[in-house]
Amino acid sequence: MTTLNFKPRVPVFDANIRVGDSYDAPSPCPNQAALLAEMDRHGIARAVIYHAQTEEISPIDGNHFLETWLGDARLTPQWSVLPTAASLAQIERLHGQNRVSSVRLHDTRSAGLPFRPWAYDKLLTWLSTHQIPLWIPLPNTDADELVTTLQGHPELVTVLVGAHYVHHLQVRPLLAALPNAYLELSRYEPIGEMEALRDEFGARRLLYGSWYPRYAMGTMLFYLHHTNLSEDELALVCAGNLERILDG
Amino acid sequence: MIDGTKVIDFHGHVGRWDKYGMIDDPALFLHAMDAVGIDVACLFNIFHPDGATANDLAARFIAQHPDRFVGFAYVSPLMPERMLPELARAIDELKFVAIKLYPPYTPWPLNQAPWHPIYQFAHERGQTIIFHTGPEPQSLPKFVGEIAPHYPQANFVIGHSGNTPDERTQAIAAAQANPNVYLETCSTFRTPGVIEQLVNEAGADRVLYGSDMPLMDPRSQIGKIITATISDEAKRQILGSNACRLLGL
Repeated sequence: MTTLNFKPRVPVFDANIRVGDSYDAPSPCPNQAALLAEMDRHGIARAVIYHAQTEEISPIDGNHFLETWLGDARLTPQWSVLPTAASLAQIERLHGQNRVSSVRLHDTRSAGLPFRPWAYDKLLTWLSTHQIPLWIPLPNTDADELVTTLQGHPELVTVLVGAHYVHHLQVRPLLAALPNAYLELSRYEPIGEMEALRDEFGARRLLYGSWYPRYAMGTMLFYLHHTNLSEDELALVCAGNLERILDG
Repeated sequence: MIDGTKVIDFHGHVGRWDKYGMIDDPALFLHAMDAVGIDVACLFNIFHPDGATANDLAARFIAQHPDRFVGFAYVSPLMPERMLPELARAIDELKFVAIKLYPPYTPWPLNQAPWHPIYQFAHERGQTIIFHTGPEPQSLPKFVGEIAPHYPQANFVIGHSGNTPDERTQAIAAAQANPNVYLETCSTFRTPGVIEQLVNEAGADRVLYGSDMPLMDPRSQIGKIITATISDEAKRQILGSNACRLLGL
């Protein structure tokens, strides 16, 4: 039964939180303490976090800025990467320190480098070899490039982030063509789609993420708790799938 | 009902828009509404400029569950001669309870003359009009603030509350300046703090829950209200009591 106040029934591990100020949008969440307080308010136990500076400016500098947000076991760092020697070297160093459980793709298409095998195979091969999952923001990608390139790396686990209703026609073909791809749910709202995708692909392919502070933290969590997903399915979507992915 | 409050979804569509997953299946609507305690959804079809085609499609959809759905009349100044007769038919014969206008489908900003006969009709009938608003040049919320004082017997609802930050500022200013202007909440931009901003700056008595169903699931959009940092009384007003008062439900 719905009430005026909401707390999740299952443990929650948010797959998609951005921290820090981006160049054009100061964050409403100024520091780690504020982030943890917002997570507490929504009943979110843990979160994967990346730094806003990695989105449009520099993955390498942004990853340095992410360090200031770490130090609490509830926050898992996600390092951003692009297919340059300097970026891969940074990720390799972090990996050598056992600090890499996932990475996030920096948008290079806006700078003229498509997500094609000739540009990305070296990076993707390294990630696949080391069983490091890759988060890919859908707003910056081309569906054909995704399928063409990722089908060359069938063992690589990917998380497709931020599907919106404008991606509706892509979602099913992408999940069908990429058996190791998961769908993060922060923006995906067409009516009934949580249950429909569960029916078609299984709850194991879906991940709760808020994409806070781009979006309010509790909204999609509330939605997931008011579907006909079983409690086991809900637990998978809210935390279990992400734990499994990060564990490799 | 949610905690004893009748819940009204003020913004929903009839008509398919397949490429975006917008499927107007009443079973999908009712499944989502029942899951979160939505009692009534306000529905309109905006895809036919003659108005009559849109309103007849909406009426047929609503007739399948007249206890759960109510209709809003759609007309367009693209076919000006049809506007007023169709509004009268939709309200008097189809029993629709408000009016929906969609400026982006026209070349005219909503403060320009082609729209004024609709506003005059609403003023004379004491009707409510909900507009799509946003950053499009036809849809700026500041225009609602300009027209509202001239039609005091009509009520004006700024759909999406402007959608984006600058336009949201305009929407709030329009509500602050005019007692007959309301703000509706649905938006694909679920920015943190927006519901709190609307309540704090315009007042909870001026905010209406809407979802944009089926383009967006009413469960996620109502989640914005439930998880906002506002009082329970404010949530009750937004979820239903304001809409019931406005529509006479």
